[in-house]
Amino acid sequence: MTQAQVVLARLALLGLVLAAWQFLPRWGVVDARLLPALGDVLAMLGQLLGRSQVHEAIAVTAAEVAVAFVIAVPLGAAIGVLAAENDYFGQIFKPMLFYVFSVPKSIFLPMFILIFGIGFEQKVAYAAFSTIFIVIMSATAAVESVKSDHVLVARSCGATRTQILLRIYVPSMMPVLLETLRISMIFNFTGVMIAEMYASRTGIGHLIANWGENFQMPQLFAGVILLAAVAILFNEVVRHLEVRVSAWRT
Amino acid sequence: MSAINVDRLSHVYSGTEGGVPALQDITIDVDAGKFVVIVGPSGCGKTSLLMMLAGLRHQTRGAITVAGKRIADPDPERVGVVFQEASLFPWLSALDNIEFPLALRGTPRDDRRRRAEQMLTLVGLEGFGARYPHELSGGMKQRVSIARGLVQDPPVLLMDEPFAALDEQTRMTMGHELLRIWSTTRKTVVFITHSLTEAVYLADEVLVMSARPGRIIDRIEITLPRPRTYEMMATDTFGRLRERIWQQIRKTE
Ligand SMILES: Nc1ncnc2c1ncn2[C@@H]1O[C@H](COP(=O)(O)OP(=O)(O)O)[C@@H](O)[C@H]1O
Ligand SMILES: [Mg+2]
Repeated sequence: MTQAQVVLARLALLGLVLAAWQFLPRWGVVDARLLPALGDVLAMLGQLLGRSQVHEAIAVTAAEVAVAFVIAVPLGAAIGVLAAENDYFGQIFKPMLFYVFSVPKSIFLPMFILIFGIGFEQKVAYAAFSTIFIVIMSATAAVESVKSDHVLVARSCGATRTQILLRIYVPSMMPVLLETLRISMIFNFTGVMIAEMYASRTGIGHLIANWGENFQMPQLFAGVILLAAVAILFNEVVRHLEVRVSAWRT
Repeated sequence: MSAINVDRLSHVYSGTEGGVPALQDITIDVDAGKFVVIVGPSGCGKTSLLMMLAGLRHQTRGAITVAGKRIADPDPERVGVVFQEASLFPWLSALDNIEFPLALRGTPRDDRRRRAEQMLTLVGLEGFGARYPHELSGGMKQRVSIARGLVQDPPVLLMDEPFAALDEQTRMTMGHELLRIWSTTRKTVVFITHSLTEAVYLADEVLVMSARPGRIIDRIEITLPRPRTYEMMATDTFGRLRERIWQQIRKTE
């Protein structure tokens, strides 16, 4: 298949899904109370985006996601680099980190509620917690992806420690780091949503949970479209950068 | 004048039970402009010795002098190094790889570029500067490595099995190319290889090392005239020299 054919086939698939979403409920093939037609959902999305209640929820969620991200990524990266570079620290902490990494983080949510209540702090803390392990693991992998041969070459050319860091470590690690950024955002966003849906009085996750409980399907689907669009957008932007900086990784 | 002097060098790698003696009482003197090849069984310490010549590792005992001064740390103005395959930085173009040592020293951009372009021409890669390592063949990559080793114009070039990963034909061509480059730049070269044919073809002098702990057990002057040609490989002299090195290496095992 040529590239054009692939793109065409993808567009056809997307069109088919959207058309089914629009017409199956209209024709009564599926229950419109369970799956409202696409047109109705989009109209609802338009309405919701005009409501101040929704604006506030978006602002709260965005703030939580941003703060949790800013805590989890640098902290996780620092721990990960330390675990990879420092033998003692690595040997002592790595097994424990791996064990905790394998446990589903959501089972700790009740503990976060007991400690932090159900406000902003709880959601940020839980999201950061559910993100930090993947950042640690990836940062460790990023450091380990630096080839010792390259460091040796740089040293033979008279590189200082700082030059080795900036000219060997950073470019070697960049593809893995960007990938980490992208994947940690998925974990982070998921963490905030779970926390908001589980116990919260604010945020988009809270609204979505409410709409679901009250059987407000157009609102529910509008919320899903909104979140999906934001998540996909972030993912694609970072992935685009990733492809650009890792062209040499072939 | 001697370009490289190694005086009673020994090295022990610290490890279990008092450490691993890797090199023992190595004494070498290389005149400026000479092409010296080191051969010896795997694990005899050839790479270790080269690292010490480059100032990348510190010997336990003994002294190394290059161009009249002690070697303690890497000094790219005195010693250039060409490593085994895959030592190019994959995120830099060929030209940027060659410029790398100059960029570290803050050489102005234009000077850097001009110098790197000269090196690219010297190694026969004119027009390939914009390519990335993954877009170059194995032989071309090693040409870029040689250019990078020579870009600061050091009097000494060290090469650790630079052509080991290449196929036989490319390897012969590269050996020949290296001699051409050497004859125009007149560097002092220390070249490590496993290939006895390569050793005889390239060298003014071959040093044979024993198995661990590495010692120099023979020095063989290669009397073949220069420039060397592929036809010389079929001569009796070539065969005899190759045989003598082989006998020495066999003895050590
Ligand atoms: N960093 C090191 N630590 C401990 N032992 C080493 C180290 N590097 C090399 N050795 C040992 O020293 C010996 C010589 O190694 P090397 O110089 O790589 O030999 P060669 O290049 O001749 O194959 C080997 O037995 C090797 O295992
Ligand atoms: Mg070796």
